[in-house]
Amino acid sequence: MILVRAAAYTFGRNLGDLEAFGPGQIEQLAEDCAQEALLAILNNLAKFRGESKFTTWAYKFAINISLTMARRERWKGVSLDLLEEQSDQDGWPSEYLPKADPEGSAIRAEVRRILTEVIQNELTEKQRLVLKLMVFDEVPMDVVVQHLNTNRNAVYKLLHDARSKLKLSLQSHGIGAAETIDLFSAQG
Amino acid sequence: MDESKFNQWINKVLTTEEDEISCSDCFDRVSDYAEAEIVGAEMDAALQQVKQHIHQCQVCIEEYELLRDLIQIEDGHVSSLDK
Repeated sequence: MILVRAAAYTFGRNLGDLEAFGPGQIEQLAEDCAQEALLAILNNLAKFRGESKFTTWAYKFAINISLTMARRERWKGVSLDLLEEQSDQDGWPSEYLPKADPEGSAIRAEVRRILTEVIQNELTEKQRLVLKLMVFDEVPMDVVVQHLNTNRNAVYKLLHDARSKLKLSLQSHGIGAAETIDLFSAQG
Repeated sequence: MDESKFNQWINKVLTTEEDEISCSDCFDRVSDYAEAEIVGAEMDAALQQVKQHIHQCQVCIEEYELLRDLIQIEDGHVSSLDK
């Protein structure tokens, strides 16, 4: 069944999330996720517009369900309450390494200073929380969604609104031109 | 978070758009986007919004990459499921 293949493929690419499971158990998980995906597909059939192959459209349900399951398994024993109690900046890189270009280093330091200030003073508590968990602590979206008892759209909106405030603030300090963007993508 | 990831995030901040689609809207169109991307088809405004969303959203880009790679394997563009 193609949905089992999609689920097994997802697990195969994310085996690190499933260290507690043996091969037989992973096979069973793939079957379970495929079954859940089949139900989701049947419930969403009206949304299929024929703009992609049906199999491509169907695979995404199996991938979505399997990846969500794998991420939650990996983070099952981690207390996000404890992470919440830590400082916002615990996950930030401690120091920028010295760079050959002093001008670039100065801009990066200025960006960091502005971001710190906006995060502390202008974001709402919820925006700061999802930013901390997802960006600085690298907690997967679906784990945060479960922790906050909400959905992806709501969490994405919090992150988007936080990014928008940060971008506006950087722009008001003259940071945000294409050269600046290149400065950070080049590091990427 | 290492410096490289931190810089990638700053890049995401600087490339934030005023209007970005939700994860649900991205999910609705990601299969169309994946097929268009593979064949290099021209993308309409809706698919450009999917592109913008997956640039910003870690979970949606992970799902997109799995989908893209899986359909390429199924179509025989990549030789093995072990990829």
